[in-house]
Amino acid sequence: MMQRKLTFLVLGGIFGFALSRVGASEYDLIYGMFTGTDLTLAWVMITAILIGHVGMLALNGFGGTTRRGEKITVKAKPLRPLTIVGGGIMGIGWGLSGACPGTVLAQLGEGKVIALATTAGLILGTYVYARLVDRESWPESRG
Amino acid sequence: MNGWYEAIFVNPWPWWAGGLVIGLLVPLLYYTENTALGVSTGYGSILKALLPRTHLSWLNSKTFADGPGWRLFFLGGMVVGAFVSARLSGRPLTTPEMGLFTATVSWTPLALVAFFGMGGFLLGLGARVAGGCTSGHSIHGIANLHTSSLVATIGFLATGILTTFLVRVFILGGGA
Repeated sequence: MMQRKLTFLVLGGIFGFALSRVGASEYDLIYGMFTGTDLTLAWVMITAILIGHVGMLALNGFGGTTRRGEKITVKAKPLRPLTIVGGGIMGIGWGLSGACPGTVLAQLGEGKVIALATTAGLILGTYVYARLVDRESWPESRG
Repeated sequence: MNGWYEAIFVNPWPWWAGGLVIGLLVPLLYYTENTALGVSTGYGSILKALLPRTHLSWLNSKTFADGPGWRLFFLGGMVVGAFVSARLSGRPLTTPEMGLFTATVSWTPLALVAFFGMGGFLLGLGARVAGGCTSGHSIHGIANLHTSSLVATIGFLATGILTTFLVRVFILGGGA
């Protein structure tokens, strides 16, 4: 169990380090991606998707098992009408804050004080979701 | 040798290096822990840590069965990794700046907190309704050719572009 947590700590550390190094935590680069004036982060994402895809093909080519020999299970998230609605809501937040749920953590680590407000908002937004899915009127029984 | 150290630990990375390392995390997380790359569910883990006795059904689902759990370590690692990055490149410990935004507007701290807090609120709510964020959907999901992830990403980009256009015109005073 401790080894598992350590693995997540180290891989999270690499993720945060990479996001910071490549400038994904910079407001101006997010702004540039969405205004089309600086596509650095779009290229980062496209490269990451391609490398991730090739890496998964390689992993499957080597038998599709984890380091402990378990079968790897990749589950797609369900496609529902709310997928595009939620995507649209999150995009507004991305445009307003200049961060996404991952890069705001890199902003925090870099000492960007305003990221504290973004993070507090994120926790509150997640809480409101947890309240909403408990209501009878929520369009889907399960989130 | 010194050049390599500078390139990795001191200077900013080119886009392809960031894409390479972030992309490799997708198979690495499956290989090590049979887990999908993703961040936004981790905010549920933070809530679970803050409200251990909550009655909300989502926070009592099997996603959070092991308590706050490993997701907090992943999210915490991200903060630490960025902290190390900023230290090695000699940035100030804290900064009130947020790029072009704070360089352009002269808002009170309260107005900034309200604006960025609202942005964060929509990030948290939207990511949960969509079932993931940039890492879980746009990188992990599309890399695995999941249709729902492509649809969510189209949503992120569509309103991200529209919102940034409105911010540019009405707040930052850029031309339309």
